[in-house]
Amino acid sequence: MGDRNLIANAMGEASLTTGAAAGFDYQPVAMMPDTKVIKVGGQSIMDRGRAALFPILDELVAAKDRHKLLLCCGGGTRARHIYAMASDLELPTGVLAALGGYVPRQNARMLQMLLAKHGGLFIMHDDFEKLPLYFRLGCIPIMTGMPPFGYWEKPTAGGRIPQHRTDAGVFLTAEVLGVKRAIFIKDEAGLYEDDPKKNPSAKLIKRISARELLERDLDDLVVERIVVEYLTRARSCHELQIVNGLERGMVTRALEGEDVGSIIHKD
Amino acid sequence: MSKLVTGDGRTHIDSKLMRESLVDRKVIARTHTDHEFEIMPNVVLVGIGGQSIFDRGKSALLPLVEEVAALKGKHKMMIGVGGGTRVRHTVSIALDLGVPTGGVAQLVGAMEEANAVFLNALLAKHRSIVMQREHFWELPLYIENGMLPIVISIPPYHFWEPPPEDGPLPAHGSDFGLFILAEVLGMSRVVFVKDEDGMYTRDPKKHPDATLIRRTTLEAVLAMPPEDLMLDKQLFLAWRNARHIKRVQIVNGLKRGELTRALAGEDVGTIIERA
Repeated sequence: MGDRNLIANAMGEASLTTGAAAGFDYQPVAMMPDTKVIKVGGQSIMDRGRAALFPILDELVAAKDRHKLLLCCGGGTRARHIYAMASDLELPTGVLAALGGYVPRQNARMLQMLLAKHGGLFIMHDDFEKLPLYFRLGCIPIMTGMPPFGYWEKPTAGGRIPQHRTDAGVFLTAEVLGVKRAIFIKDEAGLYEDDPKKNPSAKLIKRISARELLERDLDDLVVERIVVEYLTRARSCHELQIVNGLERGMVTRALEGEDVGSIIHKD
Repeated sequence: MSKLVTGDGRTHIDSKLMRESLVDRKVIARTHTDHEFEIMPNVVLVGIGGQSIFDRGKSALLPLVEEVAALKGKHKMMIGVGGGTRVRHTVSIALDLGVPTGGVAQLVGAMEEANAVFLNALLAKHRSIVMQREHFWELPLYIENGMLPIVISIPPYHFWEPPPEDGPLPAHGSDFGLFILAEVLGMSRVVFVKDEDGMYTRDPKKHPDATLIRRTTLEAVLAMPPEDLMLDKQLFLAWRNARHIKRVQIVNGLKRGELTRALAGEDVGTIIERA
């Protein structure tokens, strides 16, 4: 039997079955650290329509020449309808993830139409490497928040809702670009100890570490649970900022780096 | 009949998940059922090793190709291939350069696709076809018409690879990718073709005293992992929550007939099942 035709390299015969790479002094480069990676909520913002969205767009447009804005869209009620239907049909999580991907893409296209005259540009995952060009041209790239896992999404323990949805995609986008803080525009002042829509006396948490938040083991969270888990071992994106887009000026202040809303940070 | 619900500033479509937080554990639990629909249950997925089989070239590959061609009429199957030594070279250069983990994940798929194209050239006269990602739903068309889809093994996590737990390398590799593909389609088994008789207690290439594990369980592998896992750790972690895959088998592709016996349901190589 012929030998293996191997290229000599530092990974040599490494099995590559885990994340470990012995012998490397790994120092990742920050690809585009000054980008503002911003999530526009689906249920929280888009489903409210003009009343909620237009003032936020005004703030984003006003800031666009000072900052590189990358907008990522959430899904919302249509995604919930898809997940409910697909769960009823007992389809696998991967199918839910692929189908759930359609809605944030629709939302991104809507945003593009609204922002076209200001340089709004709908982009797909495959366009990601063209971001420097879009920013150089003064455009506002707009994409789905959903990561591209689709049918390859892992099965969820004890349910069918995909673990990686649009919050995860936004965090992972910031992580790979080397952006320190990801901004989530929602319809609440930040992270609460309980769902403030159902429990009006729930307390706001202004600042908390990812580890502490995981230890509290809350039944509900303002961001996808897996994002908080990833935050504990992130290399670049060390903060999630959740701001209330319904309150005028909050988005602007967040873009200027103010600690408005809630901040979940790596320890 | 769907209806629209308003009144809280948002416009909802009435559904079981309307207004709900999809992060809420109680809401997630409501989407669970014991049964799950099987999309293409009678298909078997065969993963061919990159470094173990492909990089050996003609002497290892051509007999295996003949075997696969003969099997095609008897089994509904899909094939995936690993990237082998070029992946390791890519990774070693990229880590030295400081390419972020997601960037490394974006790069490695190309080497696997190259091997898929190699394999397709060898199997084209037996009606193989390289599946493009966006042609996912053409898989039944291929299978039901006696074709042999060669699927892309690396999962499409690309730039969005989650931060790994234990180092800078993307943890969702080609073994994981094939496993998830088989799982989402409701298949019950995956067979990996390597250059050893199965999974050993230690890497048999470096330790002659390593012993072969004939049969084990997912739980046993997770509780006491062998020194060299042979397959992506993420495969085993994802398997815990999987609904369909019952058996993962590792066979020696350098031994003629092993794959044939595995597909016939024989207990060759290493068999890993869920307890």
